[in-house]
Amino acid sequence: MEEYAVIGKRVPRFDSKEKVMGQGKYAADFTMPGMLWCKVARATLPHARILNIDTSRAERLPGVKAVVTGKDFGGWTWGFMANTRDEPPLAVDKVRYLHEGVAGVAAIDEDIAEEACELIKVDYEELPGVFDPEEAMKEGAPIIHDYRPNNVSVDYHWNFGDVEKAFADSYIVREDRFATGKVIVGFLEPPASLAYYDPTGYITVRAAKQSPYFHYRHLAACFNLPLNRVRVIQPLIGGGFGGTKNDSVAGDFCAVMFSKMTGKPVKFVYTMDEVLTTCRRRHNMFVYNKMGMTKDGLLTAIESRVVANGGAYTAIGPLAMYLAGFATTLPYKLPNFKYDCYRMFTNNPVSAAMRGHGITHTRFACEIHMEMMAEELGIDPVEIRMRNAIDNPKRGEVYRTINDVSLKTCGLKEAIKAAVEDPLWSEKEKRPQKAGPVSFGVGLSGTSYLGGARQLGHQSCGAIVRICEDGSVNLLTGATDCGQGSDTVLTMIVAEELGLKYEDVQLQRVDTAYTPVDPGSYGSRVTALAGQATQKAAQDAKKQLLEAGAKAWNVTPEEISIRNSVVYLKKNPDKKMSFEKLAKIASYEGSGAVILGRGYSGYGIEPLDFMTGRGNGGTGYSFTAQTVGLGVDMETGKIDVTDFTIAHDCGRPLHPISVESQNEGGAVQGLGQAIYEEFVMDKGKTFNDSFLDYKMPRSTDSPDIKVIDIITDDPDGPYGAKEASEGSHVSAPPSVVSAIHDATGIWFKELPVTPEKIVKALKEKGRWMK
Amino acid sequence: MAVFYRRLPRFEYLLPKTLEEVFLALKNQKGSAKVFAGGTDLIPQLKRREIPTPKCVVDLKGISGLDKITYDEGSGLTIGSLTTISALAQSPIVLQHFPSLFQAASSIGSPQVRNRGTFAGNICTAVPSADSAPALLTLEANIKIKGPKKERMVPISKFFTGPRATILKPDEILLEISVPKPMPSSRGVYLKLSPRHSMDLAIVGVAVLGVSENGVCKDVKIALGAVAPTPIRAPMAEAMLKGQRITSDLIDEAARNAITQCSPIDDHRASQEYRCDMVYAMTRRALNQVFAQ
Amino acid sequence: MEQIRLKVNGKDYELQVKPSATLLNVIREDLALTGTKEGCGVGECGACTVIMEGKAINACIVLAIEANGKSVTTIEGLADGEKLHPIQEAFVEIGGLQCGFCTPGMILSTKVLLDKNKAPTDQEIRKGLEGNFCRCTGYTKIVESVKVAAQKMRG
Repeated sequence: MEEYAVIGKRVPRFDSKEKVMGQGKYAADFTMPGMLWCKVARATLPHARILNIDTSRAERLPGVKAVVTGKDFGGWTWGFMANTRDEPPLAVDKVRYLHEGVAGVAAIDEDIAEEACELIKVDYEELPGVFDPEEAMKEGAPIIHDYRPNNVSVDYHWNFGDVEKAFADSYIVREDRFATGKVIVGFLEPPASLAYYDPTGYITVRAAKQSPYFHYRHLAACFNLPLNRVRVIQPLIGGGFGGTKNDSVAGDFCAVMFSKMTGKPVKFVYTMDEVLTTCRRRHNMFVYNKMGMTKDGLLTAIESRVVANGGAYTAIGPLAMYLAGFATTLPYKLPNFKYDCYRMFTNNPVSAAMRGHGITHTRFACEIHMEMMAEELGIDPVEIRMRNAIDNPKRGEVYRTINDVSLKTCGLKEAIKAAVEDPLWSEKEKRPQKAGPVSFGVGLSGTSYLGGARQLGHQSCGAIVRICEDGSVNLLTGATDCGQGSDTVLTMIVAEELGLKYEDVQLQRVDTAYTPVDPGSYGSRVTALAGQATQKAAQDAKKQLLEAGAKAWNVTPEEISIRNSVVYLKKNPDKKMSFEKLAKIASYEGSGAVILGRGYSGYGIEPLDFMTGRGNGGTGYSFTAQTVGLGVDMETGKIDVTDFTIAHDCGRPLHPISVESQNEGGAVQGLGQAIYEEFVMDKGKTFNDSFLDYKMPRSTDSPDIKVIDIITDDPDGPYGAKEASEGSHVSAPPSVVSAIHDATGIWFKELPVTPEKIVKALKEKGRWMK
Repeated sequence: MAVFYRRLPRFEYLLPKTLEEVFLALKNQKGSAKVFAGGTDLIPQLKRREIPTPKCVVDLKGISGLDKITYDEGSGLTIGSLTTISALAQSPIVLQHFPSLFQAASSIGSPQVRNRGTFAGNICTAVPSADSAPALLTLEANIKIKGPKKERMVPISKFFTGPRATILKPDEILLEISVPKPMPSSRGVYLKLSPRHSMDLAIVGVAVLGVSENGVCKDVKIALGAVAPTPIRAPMAEAMLKGQRITSDLIDEAARNAITQCSPIDDHRASQEYRCDMVYAMTRRALNQVFAQ
Repeated sequence: MEQIRLKVNGKDYELQVKPSATLLNVIREDLALTGTKEGCGVGECGACTVIMEGKAINACIVLAIEANGKSVTTIEGLADGEKLHPIQEAFVEIGGLQCGFCTPGMILSTKVLLDKNKAPTDQEIRKGLEGNFCRCTGYTKIVESVKVAAQKMRG
């Protein structure tokens, strides 16, 4: 066990002070003189051909400076893969989801822009729509994209081993249908940006993006500029969680276009109901799961057939469907696996990524399925998991799943052990089972999530560590902190490598004009990959410094150490100097030297294999065992969730405060998905488009949470780290549903498990109000 | 064209100092004025363009003397129309003498909303799920309404006429809520059912006010919110209990009967079936709490 | 346009405002105090919480003109120069924030809570903050920060 100077310490977040003082600036906080306001006008039908758009009245409104429609973007479309670039900034020939953007207005103030939008007249030819993915699969369903006449946006068919034979030889086989709900990431800060298009052909944008470099590529392509003339500056971001802020929105493209047309800076800010009805949301999926076990409860095979509601465009759909399948072979030993998935186009807003991307759906299905089968076999939920769990590989060994996912560490058994030794589980028999109408239950889940995700295309990242001549240090990184705390971890890594105090390192947030490229925050990749790049950059800078120091002291660089900003000779610590002095020695050598450390992440070479599902999806995998304590009011179905215990193996928590907080937040967000959140939609229209009725957990809904660290020190992560908290987001829904079963005796296979569904199920079993 | 608005529409603002000035303003605006106090309902409605934009909004907060809570043993409680929900939810008098009103006030919105919203405003929105209504119905409150020419007192049972509709004429405002002192030894509760523990509208709201003596029900009033076009009483269920010996079977029967008096809708918050089932469950629960031995 | 007088963070302002401008618009745009955030814009999330006449309110649904003559505290008014208020210190120490967007509103609601109740229970803290939505933290470290703040304020 290493002893680190900075890593693992409970230092305050890098940006806490500016945030608690209200000094930190988010995208909507910026203004520029002469700024115009941009507003997106949206379609009133979910599926329709656009026959004509009349913008003349809007253009004549005093204060309006420009109006655009889809045609103004010259037929440009974007998408995640070269053959799925099917989405235009504004609808061109047809509208494919209700409230898709069809026009934009730029005006001297936002009121006027809003009024002008009302004056735009669109003639539509309404088309029949299809809103359910299984309806979209049927013969004769309306065609949403001409290039996919069967409405199949993505489909994969993977086969490992021989599931048929395995099922035939199984002691018990179960087939069940599971469904996850329509949920959204739920950030508090709506998308916003302030854009300026300089007439020399240079774009500068301050935008709320957790992947600024994706946005810079979109803008470069859309406006036909080379990347070196697109500058995306990242302000503080008010929450990401995947999806929308990893991508671009209509307002982004309109704002830049307007700036190009008018020569003025242009700002847009979305409203929250606009976010809830038009922005990216999680796919909702139907998982037709077939699972086989031996008499001793060992898994023999899983066959998953998944149908996903893709919405109107492809976006990151190909990755979603890959992630939904490839990790079904984790966290339990699985000898046979078959996966068929279909992402269907529907006339709904676009489904994309969300924390726990893809894996959330199938892990929910498999966890509940496993517990159902354990119940049939008479094996207890802890035992069934311990029998199937992958063992922690010995140092130097690698565990390979049947589809070649490789693990060097797996702390699942230790996590399960820690979770069930905690009183929430271990003392559940001692606590009352009922109190009045409330029935209590405790649930368990064991799950995994990948870290260090790579996608296709350019996915590498770099870092620069700059030693200023006075000894102060900058980290220039393309990595994006969207609130999860990566700025803090990266700063700690630099401090650790250089031997400095944490407070002595200054991080420069992303500015694509100056910072090295980085794909951004998703798939728990920042600590793993940007962390590695940062570590290497710091090591490179240190090498240059130590070479100068060695010359000055007439020793070899290996003989010098730095700790706590003090440089000293290892064999004689009394020979020392300050870091500042060393920096000066290095910088002022001769006529001066510039000390820049460079590093880039060496991962990202093995491409993901969407077609076969073989191979790794990330550089490492976290493991989480979660227990949940709750009470179900058996008369009303209302649930009080009182306790979570989360035992997680993230390798090693580098910044414990952030890791805990992320696990807590991820689990509560997962709780929302389990019992509270769901969009109620009909024919593409969203009925609950506000925080009042799209019910995310408030302070009074959230449990007390205990987080237990399981340290496995993964050799591939910086300082042993793996991902943290997408795991706890995945572990929450199955453990909550497991607890609901413990309280009610009923298995629920559809999320969210609302009070109404609980009462309905109790009524069906003749157990309500007895 | 669909537009998501971040800005309020254009309107003028008036701050009358007296009631006469209010009525003059309403008269001059010829129906295109909206009065408001807390604004926690009106402002979001205007922002979302849910109602036609009035030419002007008339702020009632300039009128003094309307924000008092007074109580005396004889006439009971008077709540001025500008009394905030917070003031009610923090009033020791209300807690002691009108506990169901206290529970109702505490269940509305958030601290921020309660600090601005008024109890009178909650009644005037007349949404079927208004949390203020059921308890006031059981307490048989009276609403003092003032118009340019006269004042009138209307029992709350006559106040609501439909979803978001009241008997207030366009040139009238609600002045005061009078709540008579309930019978001695009576107990009152307001139970609000919603999926979360904060910030939700009621799926079903049940208020019960009851008095028993030696195990016999002397009087009971049951009111339901969110299960009919307006908040309602359940007189048949009440009649089943009045004068009878209270047993859990009788309470169960009365609670089942309450379902017959409501007509809830299917909407995105809950189905008709669930609401009816919850009328039964929550009425039974409220009756049990009130008549607990 | 109407003329109003507003005291914000102890400083007096005379402003010309539209009747339809909200207090939030005026704070963020006319006064350039961008610490107060706009989340939902309709009084449901609490990101825009400010303290007016000692009470926590949602500035997004209060007209600026309604605040005429009133005294308002925004997040920028809490610290004493560079010296953080004990609540701010506690949030920094415990890490009661991640993205920070809900933080200004959360801290001001905490101030109102603790000014009234010097030793709130966990339940009272959660109920006192029910009007402030957070998606990042799951509220656990927020509740802890409030408890530490209460301790600091009790001395």
